[in-house]
Amino acid sequence: MCGLLGGGNHWSNTTAPGAGAGSQNARRQRLLQAALANRILIPLRLRLDDFHGQSFVLSSPTGASEMVGDFAQVWKVAERMLGRALDPLTLFQVDEEEHA
Amino acid sequence: MSLAYDIIPVTLVTGFLGSGKSTLLADVLTGDAARDTAVLVNEFGEVGLDHLLMGEVDTQTVLLDNGCVCCSIRGELKDALAGLFSKRARGDVPPFSRVVIETTGLATPAPIIATLLADLVIRSHYELKVTITVVDALNADAQRARYPEWLAQISATDRIMISKGDLTTAPHIDALKQSLRTINPFAEIVERNSSPDALRELLFKPARFAPDSVQSVCEIGAGTVRLGKGGGRLAHRVDFERSDIVSSCIRIEDPLDWQVFTLWFTMLLNRHGDKILRVKGLLALEGADRPAVLHAVQHLVHPVLHLEEWPDASRASTLVFITEGLDGAVIEASYRRFCAALKVAA
Repeated sequence: MCGLLGGGNHWSNTTAPGAGAGSQNARRQRLLQAALANRILIPLRLRLDDFHGQSFVLSSPTGASEMVGDFAQVWKVAERMLGRALDPLTLFQVDEEEHA
Repeated sequence: MSLAYDIIPVTLVTGFLGSGKSTLLADVLTGDAARDTAVLVNEFGEVGLDHLLMGEVDTQTVLLDNGCVCCSIRGELKDALAGLFSKRARGDVPPFSRVVIETTGLATPAPIIATLLADLVIRSHYELKVTITVVDALNADAQRARYPEWLAQISATDRIMISKGDLTTAPHIDALKQSLRTINPFAEIVERNSSPDALRELLFKPARFAPDSVQSVCEIGAGTVRLGKGGGRLAHRVDFERSDIVSSCIRIEDPLDWQVFTLWFTMLLNRHGDKILRVKGLLALEGADRPAVLHAVQHLVHPVLHLEEWPDASRASTLVFITEGLDGAVIEASYRRFCAALKVAA
């Protein structure tokens, strides 16, 4: 039904614009995107899984899980589950300082 | 012509109170030009637009479940557009082929653009082609100092039309153009003293992305606009101590990983979308020969397109951020950290 209604039509759900037909298919790109997001989310004890190529499911260690349509939603729901802001301007800053 | 499946081009006309939006429409949409144009207004002007299909838009705001206040969708606009399309399909109104939406002088354009881009029903039938902002040459300085809505209208627009230029001097107009360019370097700036035919063309000509505009902004250098004390955070009109609008250019030499970029950019807009007035970028993506064009207004990202070819020999990604109270260097550092952390070369 989501596919019919265009639920996955957020700009972040599109495949790389301009990529040729021989490039990775959309489903594989989506799984890669979720895997990359998990590199951010798993250290925070959250997890993101693809749901039928149309949505994502974001889960917390307390058993809460929520279906989200796109990445704008993923970060919003993740912030709610964590109870704090996820700020890309400060994210990974500590890692960098430790490596310096 | 299949009425049910047409996608109708939309022109959004904004401009502060008294800037001359209705007069512009009345001058342009006369006779045959008005016949195939539907106009939606959400204020009653003194100028009659007799030949047009008029729809009055009441005030009612619905909150989008995926947005903050500045993405709030204007429910009445959605209903008006959907209703108009239904009437057209049923034959209750003449089969208009384009729509003009005239906003109130105090409207910020982002919620209206959100309605047109994000609503499933509306985006199936309508496509926003261009946003035009009418600027009152006489009162621009005062409006800019006092009203954040004025700035929101300028920063979100594709084309600026300066009105009442005949009531002021040429040096004043030049200074105004310069300050408008600093706030929105991407907008085409025109004066309203053209003939009705030329104005009509300007009203309906789709906004075209000029790839060299991004590069020229970077070459000229980032600028800062200091506002008067009245300048507030645009979408929410909350007093905000740092009222500087800054345009910053970020250049990334290596090809971008699209997945990493979307993760970073969605996270950035989620947290700082209200401070990011406008983003335009030319992206070199891994595995793609042609550049992709990124265009965002606050939290809203237009569908990403690709150009046929690069404008010059450079193959670096260039992003221009127009921000309020957010430093471009901090944004760039954040992106590079993000790439490094996700094990992708920046």
